[in-house]
Amino acid sequence: MKRTVVPMGPQHPVLPEPLVLDLVLEDEKVVDAIPTIGYIHRGLEALVERIEFGEFGYVVERICGICSFMHGMGYAVAMEKIMAVEVPERASWLRLIWAEMSRIHSHLLWLGLGADAFGFENLFMHCWRTREEVLDIFEKTTGGRIIFSVNKIGGVRRDIADSELAAIVAKLQQLGAGFAETARIFETDPSIRHRLSGVGILSREDAHAVDAVGPMARASGIRLDTRLTGTHFYDRLEFEPMLETAGDCLARVVVRVREISQSIDLIRQAVERMPKAEGAPIDVKVRGNPTGETFERLEQPRGEVIYYIKANGTKNLERFRARTPTFANIPAMIKLVKGCDLADVPNIIMTIDPCISCTER
Amino acid sequence: MDSQAFLDRVGAYHRDGWRLAIINTTSILPTEGMEHGAFDISWSFAQDDGRFEHLRERVLPGEEVPSISAFFGAAFLYENEMRELFGVNVTGIALDLKGQLYKTATIVPFSPSAIRARLDAIGRDSVGKKA
Amino acid sequence: MANPFNLPMVGRSLRNLVSRPATRRYPSEIREHFAGTRGTIEFDLDTCVFCGLCVRRCPTLALSCSREERFFAIEQLRCIACGACVDACNKDSLHMSVDAPKVHLQTGAAPGAPRPGHQEWHQQPAGSPPGPGDAVGGPAVAAI
Repeated sequence: MKRTVVPMGPQHPVLPEPLVLDLVLEDEKVVDAIPTIGYIHRGLEALVERIEFGEFGYVVERICGICSFMHGMGYAVAMEKIMAVEVPERASWLRLIWAEMSRIHSHLLWLGLGADAFGFENLFMHCWRTREEVLDIFEKTTGGRIIFSVNKIGGVRRDIADSELAAIVAKLQQLGAGFAETARIFETDPSIRHRLSGVGILSREDAHAVDAVGPMARASGIRLDTRLTGTHFYDRLEFEPMLETAGDCLARVVVRVREISQSIDLIRQAVERMPKAEGAPIDVKVRGNPTGETFERLEQPRGEVIYYIKANGTKNLERFRARTPTFANIPAMIKLVKGCDLADVPNIIMTIDPCISCTER
Repeated sequence: MDSQAFLDRVGAYHRDGWRLAIINTTSILPTEGMEHGAFDISWSFAQDDGRFEHLRERVLPGEEVPSISAFFGAAFLYENEMRELFGVNVTGIALDLKGQLYKTATIVPFSPSAIRARLDAIGRDSVGKKA
Repeated sequence: MANPFNLPMVGRSLRNLVSRPATRRYPSEIREHFAGTRGTIEFDLDTCVFCGLCVRRCPTLALSCSREERFFAIEQLRCIACGACVDACNKDSLHMSVDAPKVHLQTGAAPGAPRPGHQEWHQQPAGSPPGPGDAVGGPAVAAI
């Protein structure tokens, strides 16, 4: 049978960031997909040669706009491990709250883009309308909607008053209740089900073989979540990762929808358990230069992110590496795309929650 | 590096159900005794219960590094990146993109010699540097 | 087979038809900024001692100063509003306002014209009278 090669990308209405997949087609079925990335490679890791470790946090949080906070947090936490700095308790709790809000805003963004990918633009607008309220909370507490610049080595730069925290919890719960209707639409609407159910099935064994992380793995039944290691006060919260067993695109949507309400609950638990603001410091002074190396793992909205930092006692780091979850999920995406119909390719690409800016740094 | 012993250990991780987490490369700048620098490569594996272990090798430029994509299919992405950005000589990658993965203006921008050239150009020790 | 009458979006759309829009009619309605919103860096020449601490902390090299010439400059288009300079200054010479920098890029600007977003200040040494064309305390070349 004759084969045609259709290049998809780098610009495509469905892709949030540029990615090229050369799709080899037989009739309407995709038999092979060859990826090319590099359209947004900025070489940010080479900036360690120029920018000193104190300011490098600002570069790290600009790797990506969606996962920005957790990049900054990962850098700060890894440097604190190297320099043996003990961060005040309140600072760690504040970071957890901002991280969970980051997860909410990222999943809402993805749900909107996913709905746009299969043509449901009205639902896209509803998800982003809900997301605006989360961004307003970010702007009120950190000063920025997308890039917060609120992490520093030794703690955080802004505090949130206790009354403000209570108001945030109330607002998020109200938002969660309002979002429940949209969530129900994602889970039960017949046109969405028709488009996503049974598409791009990743079985549990396959998910393990391609080393998938995050909601990709959880939707195939693997109980994989870096928050279960209990670092950064996650061991003081009660939660169980959301799992689905079907492994198709609809299961991944359902996992992310449920993680939104789970994050709202985690924030409520955190606000109850954190120390009160009176007299609680939010940062410690850090002196000297870092020496040593470390790995640090966090759970970003898209999965497990690994930071590697190597420092040699000067003001510049020797190596900084961020292995983002999309980097780990691209082999899964390529595996899923082979054998599917051409019309399902945008859905499958969106379903790994691609953040190519993070992948290419 | 001892390729066979290394692959045996990787095979053991694969058999015991570990997951490949990251393959990281760090360039070591040229010094006396290592005129072309070296690469510190670490392969990290994770288990679902939170264990996180690493294999580390120091490799000279040009030395052959075997691919682990026979055991861990997802390794092809890391190994293509290692070859294109650093210049590590990885052989036998399952999905070999032949230098077409990234499109950078400088070839192997993170190799020891490229980093040394950039540092020499800016005079690394200056503080309050002008643009 | 899926229930063809399970159409939850219909009720939502009908409600949207009769309720207020979620969007703002910009520019007739402009949103109020929050108190802590990041905006422009503003500089007070009277309190500055030209120590250069803020220049070293700036991650994008947007600031420059010279103690001998008593000169300070900000490139507003390089600024990322991180606030590191505000935190570093011991004399409270820098603070962040909530408004975005008012910088307009001009096409066809004459060669030698100041870069858009470039603001600089010169301080007269104490005791000497201001000469013609010297600005004391205000931006010598303001962003236009």
